[in-house]
Amino acid sequence: MSPTEIHQLNFGPITAHAFNKDRTQVAVCPNNNEVQIYTKAGKGWNLIHTLAEVRIDWAPESNRLVTSSQDRNTYVWNFEPETNEWKPTLVLLRINRAATFVRWSPLENKFAVASGARVIAVCYFDEEHNWWTSKHLKNPIRSTVLSLDWHPNNVLLAAGSADFKARVFSAFIKGGVDQKPPPTAWGDKLPFNTICGEFSNGSGGWIHSVAFSPSGDALAFSGHDSAISIAYPGGAIQSVRLTSLPYLSLIWTSEKNIIAAGYDFTPVLFENTNEGW
Amino acid sequence: MSFRSIDIDSLDEDILGQDELFVFSNGVEITPESAANNVKTKGIEVRNHLTRGDTTNALITAIENPPYGLHTIDAKDQNTTIVMEVLSSIKATDIPSLVKLLSREQQDILMKYIYRGMSSPDKHNNSTVLLNWHEKLTEVAGVGCIVRVITDRKTV
Repeated sequence: MSPTEIHQLNFGPITAHAFNKDRTQVAVCPNNNEVQIYTKAGKGWNLIHTLAEVRIDWAPESNRLVTSSQDRNTYVWNFEPETNEWKPTLVLLRINRAATFVRWSPLENKFAVASGARVIAVCYFDEEHNWWTSKHLKNPIRSTVLSLDWHPNNVLLAAGSADFKARVFSAFIKGGVDQKPPPTAWGDKLPFNTICGEFSNGSGGWIHSVAFSPSGDALAFSGHDSAISIAYPGGAIQSVRLTSLPYLSLIWTSEKNIIAAGYDFTPVLFENTNEGW
Repeated sequence: MSFRSIDIDSLDEDILGQDELFVFSNGVEITPESAANNVKTKGIEVRNHLTRGDTTNALITAIENPPYGLHTIDAKDQNTTIVMEVLSSIKATDIPSLVKLLSREQQDILMKYIYRGMSSPDKHNNSTVLLNWHEKLTEVAGVGCIVRVITDRKTV
């Protein structure tokens, strides 16, 4: 295991961050309306750019940044090597509450923006107008959407919401954006806004984080009730009630391992033994 | 600060209601009457356990199947009284071993009742007992147990 590297980039809290593909650059939001892009220089990080936003995701292959903000705006930033500048492109979100989360799809031709307006805006590029346009996933979300994760097939989207439920939607965009995906464990007919699964672990709590397993055949979510749950297509669900404080973020490292991090200052590894999690 | 007293929910047409966040154990809401009856039979059972000196089973019976629901207020009150009776009749030295016996779910429910008891000191004036239980239960079940009591809409 490599030792932890600690870098102090600024003196305030960091509210969002995203790395580029080879981890040589990082975009961070220092708890204001800016995004600062740092590049790794030897042992430290140098500030190279400043953009104005609050939630960030970095598309590894196409090297684009998407940022969304509480002022209901989202921009896609393209790096232009000639001028050495990040150029924003407008995104038509049509939401009337703050954007809370943003995530590129695996193929990087779409991204999804979660919002407090009880909708998820699935955005794709409109060649004709040279802007990013969106379609809304609306039903049956009853409250603010707090987290998103894309299925590896680029079509299914998981969402965790403040109405205590984690859901799996189809975010299939017709007309050339998406090819018909092969059948998955979550279903084979997937028009836009198909609900492939709706999960609640019973005892409630906001869903802070959702994550598909690497194969996409399982969905993990963590709630504010200090429990993590692993749900499978068809409705099977297993909850692990913890003695610690709630977890805010989940990452699958393999089909049988999940790393969770939250209010407890330390990341924790969960493992699926044959009996369960 | 008069704006604080404005009921902003009444201005929202599409408001998220309590009932939508509530998950009933088998999908149907229990009527207040049958919930009250269940608690009554439970009370008798608990008393039988207590007279036989079987405090473990008295506690488990008292906290099992709480009358969850949006309208089961009477049943909840009665059940809380039963649990309080059991908690105060158990010796302080027995508490650590007892809480270890309980399952995760049972620990969560017990914590709910401890907080419920502390929230109405006029009815259940035994905060010394409750604080003692709270301390011992937290040692075993951790702060996660407390977080679940706060977030869970299935109140007791």
